[in-house]
Amino acid sequence: MTPPRIRLDPASPVPAVRQIVDSLRVLLVEGQLAPGTPLPSVRRLAMELGVHFNTVAEAYRLLASEGWLELAHGKAAVVMPRSVPPAPDASWAEEFRDRLRGLAAQLRSKGIPAEQIAAELRSVAEGISR
Amino acid sequence: MRLSLSLLNLFAGMMLLAIPNLTRREILFAVPVPRGFRDTDAARRAVATFRMVVALTTALCVSALLLVPDEMLNAAAALVPLLLVGATGISFYQQNRKLAPAAVQHTRPYEAEISEAPDRLPGYWPMAFVPVLLFGAAALYLNANWDQIPERFPVHWGATGEPDRWAGRSFKGVYGPLLFGGILSTWFTLMLFATWFGSRRTRMRSVMFGGMMAIHLMLALLFALLGVNVLLRLPVWAVALAPMTVILPLIIVMVRKMSEAGEPMDPTPNECWKAGIFYYNPNDAALFVEKREGFGYTFNFANRWVWGLLAGIAGVIASTRMVLP
Repeated sequence: MTPPRIRLDPASPVPAVRQIVDSLRVLLVEGQLAPGTPLPSVRRLAMELGVHFNTVAEAYRLLASEGWLELAHGKAAVVMPRSVPPAPDASWAEEFRDRLRGLAAQLRSKGIPAEQIAAELRSVAEGISR
Repeated sequence: MRLSLSLLNLFAGMMLLAIPNLTRREILFAVPVPRGFRDTDAARRAVATFRMVVALTTALCVSALLLVPDEMLNAAAALVPLLLVGATGISFYQQNRKLAPAAVQHTRPYEAEISEAPDRLPGYWPMAFVPVLLFGAAALYLNANWDQIPERFPVHWGATGEPDRWAGRSFKGVYGPLLFGGILSTWFTLMLFATWFGSRRTRMRSVMFGGMMAIHLMLALLFALLGVNVLLRLPVWAVALAPMTVILPLIIVMVRKMSEAGEPMDPTPNECWKAGIFYYNPNDAALFVEKREGFGYTFNFANRWVWGLLAGIAGVIASTRMVLP
């Protein structure tokens, strides 16, 4: 099986650490990285993505703080088994809506119809199994 | 000898004329340019000016080699390559500065496999240790035929082809070239593996590893040959030209392979390239990145490990005084 890949766009205004965290989280949530899977070393991933070691180390720490990874000094970061936590109170929706509004506006400005954006969002949300 | 020197420098000048072509189409004088830029007047003017400077300097150098009196030939032979390389470097830099306003930032996303699979070397990597066998065999051959080694033999030749330094039948005199070859080979082996493990996984990296391996083996063969030449007594020009039989086909093969690799450019930030050729990016973990000019890889000077490798070069050069006769 081909190992999953992540991408990092150096020209993107999104900080590199955020791009790495988001891409890895997608793989984790979709189950493409199963519990127990070791991740590449910080050094190797940083080299492949053209960033500093600290950027990847920070991304791994953030994912570890979310409960996705187990970090141990001198060992590869490993994917942790993680059950879906109970839905938080409604305050999450406000932040989510803010982020979504920006993305939707960007797509609308490119002439993409609102129905298509909604359909894409539904398809992505339902496609994520966990 | 005068004619050979002139022809050699003429050949070098012709190689230098090809510099604008020995690189990716999106790069001109180390400036990343838009697609199609090479067909513009500005690009053609830059190439023409560069070639005129190189051609005139080559003509001047070759004429000087053909016309200087015999007693000045050695000095001229030493100066001419410096003049040729210096004039080419200055003209290259001038065109780099002229084209700098046309620079664009080539960009593409980096991709990485999320796998802990080890970064495997090409299957032929053990060949990096062939030089140990070569130097060992050469040393055994010299040792077995010690009595046939002349009491005094030449170890350096001037531009006229006449020996200008001699060594005696001593440990340093006989084994010096092999020892130096061993030191150089050790450093080169280190570089070979450092370049593999210190650069991004691309097809270009595999081509580069093959090319470096070929140069590594060629250098080892050359020094082993130099070492045993005290017994073989091959003409010095034959030993000196032997590397050319490897280098020229290698350049052609590598340029072709690298063009075939068809990978987009490494989107290293323009601002991290000093004078278009020195890469300094503290935010890039890579020790080596694809060169902006020509084909191959160059150091990321912001990485401290690179300075260790460069100190190794200084050590290799310094060792010549200790081990060579």
